[in-house]
Amino acid sequence: MLDATWLKRLGRRMAASLFCLATFAGSYAAHAQDLYGPLAKSPRTGGTLTMGSLLEPPGLDPFHQGADARIRVTVLMYQGLFYESPNGDATPLLAESYTLSPNKLDYTIKLRKGVKFHTGQTMTAKDVAYSYNHIRDPKNGSPGAGDFGMVTAVTVVDDHTVKITLSEPNVTLPLTLGNKYGAVIPAGYFDAPDAKTKLNQVSVGTGPFKLAEFKPNSNLLLARNADYWEKGAPYLDQINFIFLPNSASMLVALTNKRVDLAALTRPQDVRQVERVPGLKIERWPSLNQKALDLGSEYGPLSNVGVRQAIALAVDKDEIMRASIGGFGQTIGTMVAAMQDRWGVPVTDLPNQKLDIVKAKKLLADAGHPNGLDLNLTTIIGYDWMDPAAVTLREQLAKAGIRLNIQRIDLGVWIKNFQSKQMGLTFNDWATQPDPSLLFYRHFHMTPKGADFRNWKNEAASKLLGDGRAESDPAKRKEIYARFQKELATTVPTIMLFSADHVTVRSDKVQNYVQHPTGWFYGLARTYLAQ
Amino acid sequence: MALYLVKRLAAAAVTAILASLIVFVLVRSVPGDVVAQMLGQTSDPTAERALREFFGLDRPMYRQYLNWLSSVLAGDLGVSWTRGHPVWQMIRDALFVTLQVGFMTLLVGTLVGVPLGVIAGIYEGRWLDRFIQSFNLIGLAAPVFWVGLMLLVGVSSLFGWSPPLLYVPPSQSLSENLAILALPIVSLGLLQAAAYSQFVRQNVVSAFHQDYVRTAIAKGVPTRIVFFRHILRNIGIPLVTFMGLILIQILGGTVIIESLFALPGLGRLLLSSIEARDYPVLQGGLLVVVLIAMTVNLAVDLLYRVIDPRVRLT
Repeated sequence: MLDATWLKRLGRRMAASLFCLATFAGSYAAHAQDLYGPLAKSPRTGGTLTMGSLLEPPGLDPFHQGADARIRVTVLMYQGLFYESPNGDATPLLAESYTLSPNKLDYTIKLRKGVKFHTGQTMTAKDVAYSYNHIRDPKNGSPGAGDFGMVTAVTVVDDHTVKITLSEPNVTLPLTLGNKYGAVIPAGYFDAPDAKTKLNQVSVGTGPFKLAEFKPNSNLLLARNADYWEKGAPYLDQINFIFLPNSASMLVALTNKRVDLAALTRPQDVRQVERVPGLKIERWPSLNQKALDLGSEYGPLSNVGVRQAIALAVDKDEIMRASIGGFGQTIGTMVAAMQDRWGVPVTDLPNQKLDIVKAKKLLADAGHPNGLDLNLTTIIGYDWMDPAAVTLREQLAKAGIRLNIQRIDLGVWIKNFQSKQMGLTFNDWATQPDPSLLFYRHFHMTPKGADFRNWKNEAASKLLGDGRAESDPAKRKEIYARFQKELATTVPTIMLFSADHVTVRSDKVQNYVQHPTGWFYGLARTYLAQ
Repeated sequence: MALYLVKRLAAAAVTAILASLIVFVLVRSVPGDVVAQMLGQTSDPTAERALREFFGLDRPMYRQYLNWLSSVLAGDLGVSWTRGHPVWQMIRDALFVTLQVGFMTLLVGTLVGVPLGVIAGIYEGRWLDRFIQSFNLIGLAAPVFWVGLMLLVGVSSLFGWSPPLLYVPPSQSLSENLAILALPIVSLGLLQAAAYSQFVRQNVVSAFHQDYVRTAIAKGVPTRIVFFRHILRNIGIPLVTFMGLILIQILGGTVIIESLFALPGLGRLLLSSIEARDYPVLQGGLLVVVLIAMTVNLAVDLLYRVIDPRVRLT
C-alpha cells in the first residue's frame, strides 16, 4: 500500500523536475547530492578525525589571504553561491537556481532559504551583495578582486534574490562565485577594525564546520556546525588538522596511527608507508600543473625559435619520473583533471615530441649555432624542482643549451613573477576546473589579463575573450582547442605534468574523496568507522 | 653591587634598542613582504596598495620603526599580521615550550655530563677515560637532527610508539607532557652531556696538575676534600660561564629539534614568521631572544660572585 506522504513527495519531485525541464534553456537548479562528494549510504556519525598536514595556512581570512593552504581548509567553513564540481560544473550551493538574461549580462540568482551563519544570523541577499561588493572593490585589498573585474554591480532584488551585472558576457561567473574567493559572510562584517585578524579566531561562514581553535605551529580544530543547512551532514564531530613541519614526523605519525588521513607529495614518502598494515594509499587526478615558464623579457627567450627548441629538447616523462617518481601524468597544454573535457590530444599538438636535431637547427636559425647559456630559477622548498632542474639541465645540454640553476626564496620568486621578470623558471600552480579560469589571467594581454610571460599574443588574447563569452560548450571547446594549439606553437610555457593528489588514510576513514583542486571538500562527506 | 646592576641594566637598555633597530632593518631586507605572500602570483596593484596601507608598509621605514618602538616601550608588541593573535601571547606560549626544553636539556646535560667529565678526569688515561671520551667525541660530532631522527624512527620501529602530536603543558598533564618532550630532550641532552663532559674533564685534569692541588695531596688532605673543596670549586666559574653559553645556544638552536618533533616553540614560530614575512612576530620574537641572552649573561656574571666572593663586580 502506498503511503499518502510518499505520494505527495513524489508529486512534488515530479513537478519540480517538469519545472526544471521547462526552464532548462535559461535556468539551472541545484543537485544537492553532487555537493562535496558522494553521500555515504550508512555513515556513522561522530568522532574526531586527525588530519596531518605539512602545510600550515598562513591565515584563515577567505577574502584577503590567497594562499592555497588557506583555501584547502576554509572551504569547510565558508561557502560561495556555487560549488566547483570536479567535472567543471558550477553546482548551486548557497544559490538555489539562477537565470541568465538574453544579452548574457545579468545573472539573477535565487538564494537557498534557511541558511544560517556561524554567528547565528540568517543569510539574506543583503549579505551576498555585501560580500561580493567587498571583494570586488580593489580598495579592500583582496587578491580575488581581479576575478570579479567583469562584475559592474551586485544588487539586492529581494531577501532571497540577487542580481549580478557584468560588463561583458562571462560564462565563468558561477565558478568565480565558488569557494576560492566566493565566500558569503554577514553584511558589515569588515566594518570592525579588527575584523580581518579576528577571522583566525572565529569563523563567520555558513559551511559544515566552524572554527574551534587555530594555534600557530600546532593545530587547527574544526567543530561540526549544528545549524548546517544540509540535513544529516557533516558526519564528523571534529576535524583536527595537525601541522607537522617535516615528512619524517608525518610518516612516523601515520605508521603509529596518530594521524588518520594525510596528503603526501613526495614519492619517497608514499613508498615508505605503502606496506604499512591498516593504511590505504589512493591517487586522485589533479588540476595542478608543474610548468617550465619562458618569460619573453629574458633576452634569448624573446625569440620564438629558441622557445620551440627548448620545447623539443624536453622529455616530460623523464622529468616527471625524476621529480615525483611517476605519481602523476605528463600533459600537453591542459591539466590532467580537465584533459578529457577540454584538452587537445598531445598527438595533435606541435613541439611535444623529443627532437634534438630539429632543436639544434632552430637554435642555429635563431643565431645560436654553438648553443647558448640560460639561467633557470627554481624555488627553495619545492621538492620536485631540484631533481627536475638537474634532469632538465641534462636534457637541454644535448641540444647545446647550457643551463645555470639558481635556487631562490619564494618571496623573491613571487616578486619577480609579479613584476614580469621571471625569465626561465619552473612554476607550480593550480586552477579551478574551467579553461577560462586556467588561461585568461595568465595569458591574456594587459590590461585585461596579466600576461605574466610577456607573450603579447593578440590572436591568443582574442580566443581567450571569445571563450569566456561563449556559453555553448561545443563552441567553447573548439575555441580553447585553437588556443591550446597557439600555446603549443609559440611556447610561452611548457606544461610538464600534473602531480596526482596522493592521500594516505587509515582503515577507519571512510568515504573520503579528494577534490581535484586539492581542497578538502571531501571531509564534509567523510566518516569514521568503528 | 647596586651601582654595578644599574650600569649593567643601562647598558642592556642601549644594547636592546640597538638590537631592535638591527632586527627591524634585517627582517625588512629579506625580499618580498606579507602583501606579496597574501596576494600570491596573481596580484592586483590596487589591492596591493590597499594592503600595504593596511599594514602600514607604505610609510617611510623610520616612521614604521618609531611607531613600533613606541608601542614596544608601552608594552605592546602588536598583533600578528597573518595569525591575528597578539604577538606577546604567541611569544609567551612558544617561549614556555622552548624554555622547558632548554632547562630540561640543561638538567639532563648537567646530570649526565658533569659526573662523566669528573670520572674521566680522575681516571685520566685509563680505559674508563677513553670510553667516556669516545662518547664525548660521538656526541660532539653527531648533528642534533640526525640523533633526533634516529631516535624518532628507531623508537617507532622497535616499540611501535611515537610521541603525541599536540603539545600539552605540564599543568594539564605531566605524564603526557613528558611523553611529548622525552625524545627531544634525550636528543639534545645527550649532545649537551658530551660537551659538558669534555669541558669538565679538561678542567679536572688541568686542576690535578696545579701546585695547590699537589700541595694539598702531599699534606695528606683526603682526596674527597681535595676534590670537592679545591678542584670542583675552582672549575665552578668556567663551568657556569659554559652553562650560560650552552643555554643561549640551546634556546637559539631548538628550531631544528622543534621542527623535527613538531613542538610549538619559539624557534619554529620565528621560522614560520620569516616564511610568512610576519614582521611584528619576527621583531618581537627576536627582541625577546636578545633580552633573554642579555639576562642569562647578567645572571652568569652575578653567579661568579656567589661562587667566588673574591670576584668584584664593577
